[in-house]
Amino acid sequence: MPTPSASSATGLSSSDPILDRLASSDGSVKFRAIREVKNHIIGNRTKKLSYIKLGAVPAVAAALADSDPNLIVQSAAALGSFACGVDAGVRAVLDAGAFPRLIGLLSAPDEKVVDAAARSLRMVYQSKLAPKYDFFQEENMQFLLSLLRSENENLTGLGAGIVIHSCKTIGEQNILCHTGVLEKLSSLLDGSLSQRDASLESLAAIIRDNPAAVSNFVELRCGRALRSVTELTKDKYPRTRLLACLCLISVKNSSTCYLQDIGIKTKLVYILLELLDDSGQVGDEASFAFSSLIAEKEDLQKLAFEANAINKFHCLLQKHPVQPKRLEGVFLALADLCSKLECCRSSFLSLQVLNLVIDALTHEDPSVRAAACICLRSVSRSIKNLSAGRFMNERVVFPLVQLLSDLSTSVQVAALGAISNIVVDFLPHKSTFIQCGGIKELVQLTKSMDSSLRLNAVWALRNMVFLADTICKEGIFTELTASSMASLICDPEPSVQEQALALVRNFVDGCLYSVEHAFAEDGIILDAVGRQLQKSSKIEIGIQGMYILSNIASGNEFHKEAVMQLLFPQDDSGSHSFFEQILQSHDSRLRTAAVWVVVNLTFPASPGAFGRIVNLRSFGIVSRIKKMVNDSCMDVKLRARLALGQIITFGDS
Amino acid sequence: MPVRVLENTAPSQVSGANSGRSSGQSCSLLGVGQAFSGTQNVSSVQKDEAWRVNVRIQGCDLEHGYLCGTMEALNVPMADTPVVTFWEGEIVDTKNYTFFTGKWEATPEDDIRHWSKFPSFSPLLVQVEVDGGKSLDLSNYPYIFMRWKEQYFVNVGTDCGLTIAGFYYICFSCSDGSISGFYYDPNSSPYQKLELKSTNDGRSGFSFSSYELQ
Repeated sequence: MPTPSASSATGLSSSDPILDRLASSDGSVKFRAIREVKNHIIGNRTKKLSYIKLGAVPAVAAALADSDPNLIVQSAAALGSFACGVDAGVRAVLDAGAFPRLIGLLSAPDEKVVDAAARSLRMVYQSKLAPKYDFFQEENMQFLLSLLRSENENLTGLGAGIVIHSCKTIGEQNILCHTGVLEKLSSLLDGSLSQRDASLESLAAIIRDNPAAVSNFVELRCGRALRSVTELTKDKYPRTRLLACLCLISVKNSSTCYLQDIGIKTKLVYILLELLDDSGQVGDEASFAFSSLIAEKEDLQKLAFEANAINKFHCLLQKHPVQPKRLEGVFLALADLCSKLECCRSSFLSLQVLNLVIDALTHEDPSVRAAACICLRSVSRSIKNLSAGRFMNERVVFPLVQLLSDLSTSVQVAALGAISNIVVDFLPHKSTFIQCGGIKELVQLTKSMDSSLRLNAVWALRNMVFLADTICKEGIFTELTASSMASLICDPEPSVQEQALALVRNFVDGCLYSVEHAFAEDGIILDAVGRQLQKSSKIEIGIQGMYILSNIASGNEFHKEAVMQLLFPQDDSGSHSFFEQILQSHDSRLRTAAVWVVVNLTFPASPGAFGRIVNLRSFGIVSRIKKMVNDSCMDVKLRARLALGQIITFGDS
Repeated sequence: MPVRVLENTAPSQVSGANSGRSSGQSCSLLGVGQAFSGTQNVSSVQKDEAWRVNVRIQGCDLEHGYLCGTMEALNVPMADTPVVTFWEGEIVDTKNYTFFTGKWEATPEDDIRHWSKFPSFSPLLVQVEVDGGKSLDLSNYPYIFMRWKEQYFVNVGTDCGLTIAGFYYICFSCSDGSISGFYYDPNSSPYQKLELKSTNDGRSGFSFSSYELQ
């Protein structure tokens, strides 16, 4: 049989006779040519790309229109192979117009043709590039049900593949539940290996994050479907065990009613940890499944810790080489493990996993870099280790600062998350971050068009300024400027406003001189704070704003009077009522912050306290405070009593 | 705050009782960043002595009854610099922790003897004797009881001749932010009293900073 003259990885050229043979009018020549291409490309990504570049896909696809079933079968198989695992292949198959033709062939009289077309379409549906299936079209739903009702395993597999690919929204999940698709899919749990796997994966897609769908599923066949899935977690095939676990995780995470006993939770933890040993895709996916099992669940994190999960992940990281997908999954799983429990963080640090994470900060794959940052963010929630200065050193900080200018926004955001924690640093080591050029980068990111970058950059600065010394504060203030801070306070995003206000609050804390920051550039910051307090109804913004005023009011006479002026402007048009409203807020944290302002304004040792008390009385604040001495919140009550005690020192009228 | 390692291990003395008790509820004066200063009496049979002490709250997780921070002892005779230790606190909220320590060589009798030295504990004594205070609702009590356990030396080595083997019984007043405490270590002088007041960094009022971990 002739072979392409240069069929090596990159040796195909447009003058290659294979194209001529694929386009031959002689059916047998064409058949052999397609088969040859198919045999070349199976499992060989490089050859697939070469043939795609050569333009072989349209020629192969053209054979779908032939009358010879054997030729059609070869063509469909080759197209499926092109589409398998290679997005460029899927794109080429779609561009060649093969998709509708393959769909049409599903109703062909020849079963071999139907099988080949279904297998090929399944490959296409494994890609994100496959066209979205519209479940809301009546005829589409009928077609899907016809696939799932079929006796043909390839057709039922295709039906499940369509669901796995296109079921993303709650609306789609619900329609699949109500039209019998869920039931049909669950019946495949008793089928062949491929049907079971397809069923498990598609069921997980339908019930994910959808309590109503979970209820439907759990009640299916009087609970038999759920029992079947539970049974499949013991299957001999690792992939089946993984998919069964994913399905159970969806059930467990969607509702607090099902699978909450410790037995099943422990079982899931152990199965997933064991699946990590699989060296292929199952092992890669097991760590992501593990994350979805334990994320935000302290009890499961504890179970995983007791099952020695940190050790297990540590061992996986020490195997070389570790593929990027595996690395990413392991770092994310470690991040979830260390997100809440100090025992996990201690174990992580004592096993020196930190060094492996730091190395990964410079990994060539952006997903790995981001995952390493997320892992670092979790571990650096340990105040015990922050206080020991465990993270604030050049080996950790330098690569993190470099990542602030990463080309990937998700890496930048993840790096900011880790930095936000690390800069809290309770030792006087914040200068390490400054020396690594971190402040300039953070300030630059506060000006980003991307709001998540702005938010996280301001957040990091806020934590950096917490208990910072004067030199550090001055450095940051000069770099950031008062006008930029005022702009951030008025940012379109409320979350950025809140962090910007918290940043100002920290700036005006500390030594008395720090209060002056609020008055830089003609008080542009204080003006912005006042505007935001009057405008915003968000509790957190009110709290940060009130603490800014409280901190300023703990300064000298000038500072206290400035706060009075802001709360009760002389050209008042009723705006001062916002302070009274805040004092009556339903949120006790906000009431507490507001009463602290009054405590500081009436601080007895201040010369102007009496005058301010007179004004506060005339604005109705003193009578408001009197009503708060029996507040339901103890913190508010005690501060109100303190304020009233100070006020009474000057007389009660 | 670290205390001197004693050469001889005299048994701790049982002394009179007082009372008090509290909850793990939110109090802005016990928030992160808040600072306190005062003294710890380290008097022994040989001489009267008190070390100046500064405390800073670094972390607070009321849901888990957890508090942590640093303690700085300023005029420690055998140290060239102030000695800083990191401590972790258990808030007696009757949910996460009761008045019974159950570890650190402290028996329920030791616990009650120490808690009873705080006047604010007396209304709680009867119930604490029954169940360690498990059935008490401390959420509106104006005192917060805690145990502070030093975990490590921040700025000196463990060979500094000081020990952090014991722990403190602490009573915090939500009204004025004052802190009273007694150091307990069977191998150190008994009832070393810690007395701290909220500090304001030279300001005419109270100031509050904050951070938020991601």
